[in-house]
Order: sequence, then C-alpha cells, then structure tokens
Amino acid sequence: MTNDVQERRGFRASDLSMLAGKKGSLKEFGILGALVVIVVAFQIATEGTTLSSNNLINIIQSQSYILILAVGMVMVIIAGHIDLSVGSVAAFVGVVVAIAMNDWGLPWFVTILIGLGLGVLVGAWQGFWVAFIGVPAFIVTLAGMLMFRGLNQIIGQSRGIPVDREFVNLLAGYLPEVGPFTGYNNLTLLLGALAVVAVVVLELRGRAKRVRLGAAVPPMWVAVTRLALVAIVIIAAALLFASGREGTSFPNAGILFVLIALAYAFVTRNTSLGRHVYAVGGNRRAAELSGVRSRWVDFFVMANMSVLASVAGMLWIARAQASGPADGGGWELDAIAAVFIGGAAVAGGIGTVAGSIIGGLVMAVLTNGLFAIGVGSDWIPVIKGLVLLIAVAIDVINKQQGRFSFIGLMLRGLRRGRSNDLS
Amino acid sequence: MKKTAIVALAGIAAVTVALSGCGRTEPGAEGGDDAAGFAADASIGVALPDRTSENWVLAGDLFENGLEEAGFEGDVQYAGSSNAVGDQQQQIQQMIDSGVEVIVIGAADTNQLATQLEAADAAGITVIAYDRLIQNSDLVDYYVAFDNFHVGELQAQSLLEGLEEKFPGEEPWNVELFSGSSDDSNSAVFFDGAMSILQPAIDDGTINVVSGQTTVQQTATEDWAAENAQNRMDTIITSSYQGVELHGVLSPNDNLARAIIASATGAGFPVPVVTGQDSEVASVESIVAGEQYSTIYKDTRALVAAAIDMVSELQAGEEVTTTGESDNGAVEVPANLLEPVIVTQENAAEAYAENPDLEPLTQP
Repeated sequence: MTNDVQERRGFRASDLSMLAGKKGSLKEFGILGALVVIVVAFQIATEGTTLSSNNLINIIQSQSYILILAVGMVMVIIAGHIDLSVGSVAAFVGVVVAIAMNDWGLPWFVTILIGLGLGVLVGAWQGFWVAFIGVPAFIVTLAGMLMFRGLNQIIGQSRGIPVDREFVNLLAGYLPEVGPFTGYNNLTLLLGALAVVAVVVLELRGRAKRVRLGAAVPPMWVAVTRLALVAIVIIAAALLFASGREGTSFPNAGILFVLIALAYAFVTRNTSLGRHVYAVGGNRRAAELSGVRSRWVDFFVMANMSVLASVAGMLWIARAQASGPADGGGWELDAIAAVFIGGAAVAGGIGTVAGSIIGGLVMAVLTNGLFAIGVGSDWIPVIKGLVLLIAVAIDVINKQQGRFSFIGLMLRGLRRGRSNDLS
Repeated sequence: MKKTAIVALAGIAAVTVALSGCGRTEPGAEGGDDAAGFAADASIGVALPDRTSENWVLAGDLFENGLEEAGFEGDVQYAGSSNAVGDQQQQIQQMIDSGVEVIVIGAADTNQLATQLEAADAAGITVIAYDRLIQNSDLVDYYVAFDNFHVGELQAQSLLEGLEEKFPGEEPWNVELFSGSSDDSNSAVFFDGAMSILQPAIDDGTINVVSGQTTVQQTATEDWAAENAQNRMDTIITSSYQGVELHGVLSPNDNLARAIIASATGAGFPVPVVTGQDSEVASVESIVAGEQYSTIYKDTRALVAAAIDMVSELQAGEEVTTTGESDNGAVEVPANLLEPVIVTQENAAEAYAENPDLEPLTQP
C-alpha cells in the first residue's frame, strides 16, 4: 500500500508552480516574482548599488520595524479588522522607554520590559473596546492614533530624548566580529549556514512524513531544485550581508524580525489559534457555530498588534538614538499597504505572513531604489500609490469569475494540471 | 535523480565562489580621517528635509547648480513628507555608501541622525549641518546658518516698533506669542531670542499676553503647520479676546503669520501687527500691501553659497571660514553664522533689490 503513491518522473509545466512550495500559494509566487523583477530592474538602473552589501544592510535597518508591523497587521486584517494606531502606539512606547532610560536612569533591559508591558496594556485597552464593547476597530484605533500621538508629545514635551548606547547597540547594532579574519562577518556566515541546514532538514523531514502517510509528494527533482534555489539565495544573502563595511553584519534588528516572522508564520499556519483567526475573518457566524470564541480572537489580534508596535517603536528609537514627537508618522499606512500588496483581502479571511513580508519588501526596495536613482521625494509617493493600486487591482480582477484575464487563465491552467496529477 | 542533486550542488558552489570575491579587505587599510583636501570633482551629498516650504525647494535647486559650477558632483535628495526622518536616515546612508566626501544636512529632525553621523565619521566623511544644527552629537564638523537668536531679537524689536507705530499711546498692548515646531531645534532659539527682548516689556507692563501662554511648549506649532497655528489663534481669540482688542502677534515665520492674520480677520479684528520670517512671496505681497508688518530676509542664495564655499575650502584643504561656534549640547560646533535682515514696508524695495523673484513685488 505504500506503493500507491508513485513518484512521477519527467517534466510537466505544472510542476513549476510547486517550486513555490507545497503550501505557498500562487499569489505569493506572483508577488515574489514582482519583487525579483523590481530588484533586478534597480540593480541595473543603479549599476549594482541595489544588491551591494551596504545597501542591503541599509534596507533591513530602515525597514525592519515596518516589516514587523506588517506581520501583526496581516493577522488584524485576516480577522477582518484594521489598526490605524500602530505608528502612534510605537511613538508612545518609544518616548516612555527613552524617558525611562534617560530621565529615570533605569537600565536598558528593564526599559525593554517596560516597553513590552506598555504594549500589552495598550493592546488590552484597544482589544477590549473592539472585542467586548463592539466598537469597530477602525474607530477604536483612529481614537488610539490621536490619543497616543498626543500622549507621546505630552510625555516627551515634544523634545528629542536620547537613549543609552547599550540599547542602541543591541537593537540597531550588529553582530560582533569573532573568530579569525576571513574577510566576512563570521557570525553572519554561521547564521546563513544554519539557515540552509534548517531548510534542508525541514524539507526532507516533511517529505518523509508525507510519504509515510501516503500523501502525494512533488517529484524529487522539484524538491531538490527548490532546495538548491533557496540555498543559493540564503548563501548569497549571507555572503553579501557578511561583507559590508567593517563592524557590520546582518543587523540585529533583522534577526529579531526574522525570528518574529518565523514564529508568526508558524502560529498562523500550524496552530489552532492561527486557524481560528482565518475562520473568524472568513465567516464569523460559521466560526462561532463551530465553537471558535470569536471575541477572544478579536482581542488577541488587536492586543498582539500593539505589542508588535511597541517592539517597532523600540527598534526605531534605537536606530534614531532618540525618541521624538514625529516618530511613527505614516507607519500604519506602510504596514497596511504591505499587507494588501502581499495578497490579503479587505473583507478578511485571506492573507499570509510571508505574502505581507514580500509586500513590505516590494515597497522597501522600491523606496530605496528610487532614492538611489535620484527620483524626487514628490514623485515617490505617486509611484508607490500606483504600485499599491495596481497590485490589488490584479488581485481583484483575478477573483472575478468569468472575466477574461491572462493571469487567471494561466493560474487555472496550472491548477488543473496540478489537480489531475494528484488525483 | 542523482544528476539533479549534482547540478544543484554545483549551482550552489558556483554562487558561493562567485560571491566570495567580494569580502572585505584587511582592516586598517582605510586612509586617515581628515587628510587635507580631496578630489576637485568629488561627489557631495546634500540631504534636505521634506518640501514643505519654498525655501527648501529653492535651496535644493541652488545646491544642484552651485555644486556643479564649483566642479563637484552634487547628489541632492529630499525626504518624503510621511516618514521624513526615516527617509532621510536611509538617504544619508546611501550617500555614505556611494562614497561622497562631504554631506550637507538640512535635518528633518535634529535629534535623530546620530547613527548616520557615526557611519559618516567611520567613512571619513565631513558633515556640515545646514540651517538646522544637529543636536547632541560630537560628530557634526561644521554648521552654516543664519544667526537664529538674532532672528528672534529682530522679530521682537520689529513687533515693538510696529505696535508703537500703529497703536501709539495704547499701552499695554495685547499681544500673543507663537513658536515653531518643537522637533526643530531652531524653534526654541528664535523664541528665546524674541523673549530676550519681549520678557522685559511683559515684566514692565508695556505688553500684555492676554492668554497667559508664554512658554515655548505652550506656543509651539507642530510641524510648522499653518493649520495648527490658525486653530490655536482661533481658540485664543474665542477664549481671551471677547471685547478685548488684539494689537500684535509674534509669529516665527511667514506661513504661520498669514494663518494668524487669516484667523484674526476671520474673527472680525483689524489686522494686528504680525512678524514673520523667510520672505515668502505671499508675505512680501502682504507687507507691501500693508497687512503683515515684518518678515526676515535670510537670503537662501547667500546661505547655499556659504555652504558651497565651505565645501570648496575643505576640498582645497584650506582653513574653513567660521564666525564663531554654536553649542549643540555635545560640543561647540565651528559655525559660519550669516546676518539676517529685517524687512518692513519701508525697506522692502531696498532689501530685495538683488533678488530677481522678490524685487518686482516691491514695485508699485
């Protein structure tokens, strides 16, 4: 009976879609393709600056807090809500943490706990109004956006408040240089190697498990090619990040972001809590009738968002080495744009952590590249606005049944091919 | 199957080898920090804040043309308005990576660029703070600006002169005070300069701040936004000026001055004596027409020229011209401070005689 599932041999066009991963949707594959196209285009336009070590480090340093917000925001949006307050919450937490360090003289690790604690409190406050009073999240967080912005300026008296060096080194710094001189940051190389090993082990174990359970597996060449591609990307990234100017590495903020992204990707895909978020966003009544406690799901996503906003706020004040009255301005919109470019649905129920991160990277690379080729700051928002509009429009057109769409046609073709294979 | 695996491994190996050529060189290979001079066609970065006023747009154009004329390659960048500080941090980092010799920074926030200054210092790049002094960092090499404390003094003096001229013998004059955005380190300097003249007048009862709001926090106008000034003026008029005359308003710049005049006339008051700064076109017209009382002329051309002169001096390895030092909280930064000019209806034609944009406005 174990031989029911035969490994297919030979090549079929539909196998290509499997390169995106057994769980990865084609939508993510599409947006990933868009990211690659943008990177390559800027790499050519900037004559190689875009993928230079220092520029990649610059992108991660300047976007990790937005990407972390996008991870929280996608869960809020999947559950059918929105959070407009993240920038203000980040600014509010940031100013308190800065004051705790600067004026109260508390050690940095205590101030980080204070910051996270404040994030929990703010989140519980907003979650309470959304989940248990039933005020729409749009209104609750619009109120929060105003209140926490004001509180930032009341508490900070609109000053710039400097933060401690240890705090800066931890959250905006780099891995230390250890070991022999290799021309690279050794710890970054080590991280890259660990990542490759982890990816290979997980893939092979997953494959073995599916075979054991008698489930269909993609042909071996697909798995190997995909692993090779992923390994090449990771190794290339590790080498690039490790060869920035002396004293730099893959940024600490980036490591924090990757850990958060992995944790939340796991939670949304593999835990009942994560599936409940999708269930509530997809069909609230049906989810409730199946026993999902939808109010607690609402409470969780809103509270969780504020905690991640507090993390983003602390990363920011470390990068700026000071908190200020204008911190976090416009972050909510950047995070929301990332989520929708990443394929989430406005009505809720649809969206992924990975897609949102890619969406955030699209915007990040776009901004960075436009700066690099000297496009004026007046045109950049126009271009980013158009990208957002077009990305979501393509998505909407694809979902409309019966209307001709080239992409839709391709997707249907691939899907049909795949279902035939597996049946 | 085996073939696929071999091809895959070969691919990985190829990429690894191809990229491993780009490692760092041995440490200590970089040149000295402040070696005298650099190439005459070096590239110079100019990081300006968002385009919220005519002056920054003009400054950007002047830098682009002026640096080119001086033989440099100019890289002039503006921050976006939604996330100005974050944009500027990223732009400065890109300039450092692209190998500029000098970065001229008009800071979006004078407190939040420390990380980038450290990176610039590590790369041996000279940093010139333009118009806004970057705070609490000992890595600011030079500062070029107008003497902003003196701007405040001039504003306050012209306010008192205007009150004497328009409302003689009506002391105590009722006056309101406005200051600029609190994330701009200049705001407090303007205000302190003005208060150094006005505080004695408040103490001896010559002027009366009816609302009682006289601290820099109470009078701040977030983001230098005209809307915020107008709202605050509306509120003050409603709460403190029922049946009371409003004689004068200290405004830190022209954009806010016009908002304040709009608020006062909207509430049915005659135009009070209002100060300003920047010589914006609409305000110069207003001054010539006898509405806004005064403005400050800080010739952006002169300031940009002074900054570019500084770059040229650095290039040649000469001593940089400075007029004094400015305290940024960490060090005394060598500074070239230019003299501002106060402009009223009386001397407008004379003050703008050299300015092709403003001169025609002063002709009847």
